[in-house]
Amino acid sequence: MFDETIPIKATKDIVIVRQKGRELAILYSFSKAEQTRFATALSELTRNVLTYAESGTCSFLVKSANRKSIIIARIVDHGPGISDIKLALQDGYSGGSGLGLGLPGAKRLVHSFDIESSPGYTQIDISISRTIR
Amino acid sequence: MNIIPILQLQSNLIASIQTELTDEQALAFQSELLEKNSALNTKGIIIDVSMLDVIDSYMAKVLTDLAKMIKLQGSKAVLSGVQPAVASTLVDMGMKLNSIETFLSLDSAFLYLTKEQSGKTKK
Ligand SMILES: Nc1ncnc2c1ncn2[C@@H]1O[C@H](COP(=O)(O)OP(=O)(O)O)[C@@H](O)[C@H]1O
Ligand SMILES: [Mg+2]
Repeated sequence: MFDETIPIKATKDIVIVRQKGRELAILYSFSKAEQTRFATALSELTRNVLTYAESGTCSFLVKSANRKSIIIARIVDHGPGISDIKLALQDGYSGGSGLGLGLPGAKRLVHSFDIESSPGYTQIDISISRTIR
Repeated sequence: MNIIPILQLQSNLIASIQTELTDEQALAFQSELLEKNSALNTKGIIIDVSMLDVIDSYMAKVLTDLAKMIKLQGSKAVLSGVQPAVASTLVDMGMKLNSIETFLSLDSAFLYLTKEQSGKTKK
């Protein structure tokens, strides 16, 4: 089960979400590079929620199994949804006035990236994992 | 909202970002630097980001826009202390900090600016 649901309502929540992500990554001994990549991906996705859906939530889940630690973040909003996911994931594509690097960039920064979206609902799961030695 | 100390050293401003900024704070910082630059007629600006653990596309845009605007005002803004993990994340994201020169340390950034201002730099 996901715990630690953080509301995304204001820009300060972007900082709160990415700091929470970094804290978990530190706790599970991810490298500084991985912490930074995860925090940056969270920053991009959280900002998208504020920009395109006004509000949403981010929750975290940690799994340890088969000598692996996996941190999953689930970002959910009830905005308009992403009608063309393939297009939205293209480098430089922006439906607004952004750089269009948020989704494709975030995808490159993490180990897994899954979008589910329909009008009125968008859910993005990202995860990082590491093998415990 | 002035949470970033901006110091003047000779004809340069040094702004050291100490904590993670919200979007509003980043924009307030941007306009404050622009105003200080005009008012004090400074030649160079160093923005030290060594305490910043995250530079996302928003912050990258604030910084590169700032550098462009400072240039239009006839001065030069440079970055110092970009953390290695932040630099590689920026590259992987596909974000370019092209319009702003970066230095490893505050020291090297200051040395560069002062040399350049006295016209002794060959690049
Ligand atoms: N949570 C979301 N809800 C609805 N649309 C979204 C959401 N996130 C992203 N999008 C759409 O996908 C596009 C690409 O997003 P992104 O790569 O972050 O670039 P940018 O935010 O710079 O436009 C956005 O312009 C927007 O149209
Ligand atoms: Mg975006």
